[in-house]
Amino acid sequence: MRRSNGAAPVTASRRPRFGLRAVFGVAALLWVSLALADDATGWLQQAAAAAKQLNYSGTLVYQHDGRVETSRVIHMVDTTGEHEKLVNLDGPAREVIRNNEQVRCYYPDAKIIRIEPRTYRNAFPSLLPQQLDTLAAYYFFRKAEIARIAGLETQAYVFEPKDGMRYGHKLWADLTSGLLLKAQLMNDRNVPIEQFVFTDIQIGIKIERDTVRPSFRPPPVDWEMRESLPGDVVQQDTGWLVKELPPGFSKIVEGYRTLRGKVAPVAHLVFSDGLVAVSVFVEPMPQAPQLIGLSQQGGINVYSRQLNDHLVTVLGETPGATVRQIAYSVAHR
Amino acid sequence: MGKFLALPDADEPARPTELTPEEVSLLMDGELDADRAERACHGLREVASVQTWICYHVIGDCLRGDGAPMWGISKRFAARLAAEPTVLAPSRARPAPAAVAWAVAATVAAVGVVGWVALTTMPLPPSAIVTAQRVDEVRAADLRRPVVNEYLLAHQEYSPTTAIQGVRPYLRAVTADPQDAAK
Repeated sequence: MRRSNGAAPVTASRRPRFGLRAVFGVAALLWVSLALADDATGWLQQAAAAAKQLNYSGTLVYQHDGRVETSRVIHMVDTTGEHEKLVNLDGPAREVIRNNEQVRCYYPDAKIIRIEPRTYRNAFPSLLPQQLDTLAAYYFFRKAEIARIAGLETQAYVFEPKDGMRYGHKLWADLTSGLLLKAQLMNDRNVPIEQFVFTDIQIGIKIERDTVRPSFRPPPVDWEMRESLPGDVVQQDTGWLVKELPPGFSKIVEGYRTLRGKVAPVAHLVFSDGLVAVSVFVEPMPQAPQLIGLSQQGGINVYSRQLNDHLVTVLGETPGATVRQIAYSVAHR
Repeated sequence: MGKFLALPDADEPARPTELTPEEVSLLMDGELDADRAERACHGLREVASVQTWICYHVIGDCLRGDGAPMWGISKRFAARLAAEPTVLAPSRARPAPAAVAWAVAATVAAVGVVGWVALTTMPLPPSAIVTAQRVDEVRAADLRRPVVNEYLLAHQEYSPTTAIQGVRPYLRAVTADPQDAAK
């Protein structure tokens, strides 16, 4: 995108001084944009690495739609890999347990355990070559203020969108460890719509393996186990495509997956701009009445519509306009 | 939002506590001085003033294209009405503007500016009172459609936010309403 065009060498031979300047100019532009992108992605990688490699335990407050919900988060790494436990402190004691690739959600109030295969955990850093350009092209990235969060000094970073197709992001990373302590999604009026923030946290402490095991162990016999197997996600060409993809988004995965409660496999396409993702689900129109139109929770917007005899559902951490545009441009080849 | 011209109310001079439409507009725009703002805030205790205030916000939201928060605004407004002891007081001698009707009109037509003038002289329809009395049936959950868990969990696996925040974004799925868990 910021590459010199083919005419440059010709111009250079005819008018060497001007040509040289042009080449320098292009090189400088390229360098600046790469440096910017490098800074953003390099920093994101650092935050991702910190989240993966550190032991930490803290109280996390999640705010969205005028609600405040508090959870306990414990993350530890040992020779068997990463283990993470998140427990709701308010309301029903739901928990999320992650062991490397596998995520289990426990819903004691509904007596359900959902077991999710984790197929994509590390894909983020490997997206770099194309995302390097995308992040710089669609977000202004800048260092913001130094702020104190959960008793620690943090550096704030801002990703400000250049168009209305994505939200703004403000992220606060611990100066010492690089771990994200606060994350905000901002709408087009710069008003936070969703926020994750640690109110206290201990980083780099010793954590016993037992503290990250599920509280419901073994699960009560009357609980329902809902499990998706890794084989339930088959990567292949589904024949579905998005004709008017918002700029900056590119497809990162496509395939069929078995979703619980769905009779037929559901086509699942994921598009990302490097910072967030949008999922497109296409399935045969279910018999039961479906919610059609826009729904929203915190930073997640969902748009559902009927396309002939199919149900199209688009979901992502983007404004409603983005999921709606994608939903209306889904087509079959 | 823009200014609205006040209609001189020849038949009924404003009571000391009731605001003229222009005052409401000026108050919303922050263009009243401290004294008048103080008086205007007192005036907002009047049902008619509150209704004008809400109506103007609805119109403003429409004009700005903020359609989404309109869902159930009449219910929310009715809830507020019921919470205010003065709201369901015995009817006053003069007709009150029909804010609930306005909200609907503005939502549908998004041209409330014109309609406003005509509506000021309309009496409060009985339906608005009935709506206000049913507020205990209105719950916040009715106004917000939950995101279906199954899709959200499938999406979360692939989102870069999961890579940089670990398991934290899964909170979106586990803090959903109890009835959503089974979906």
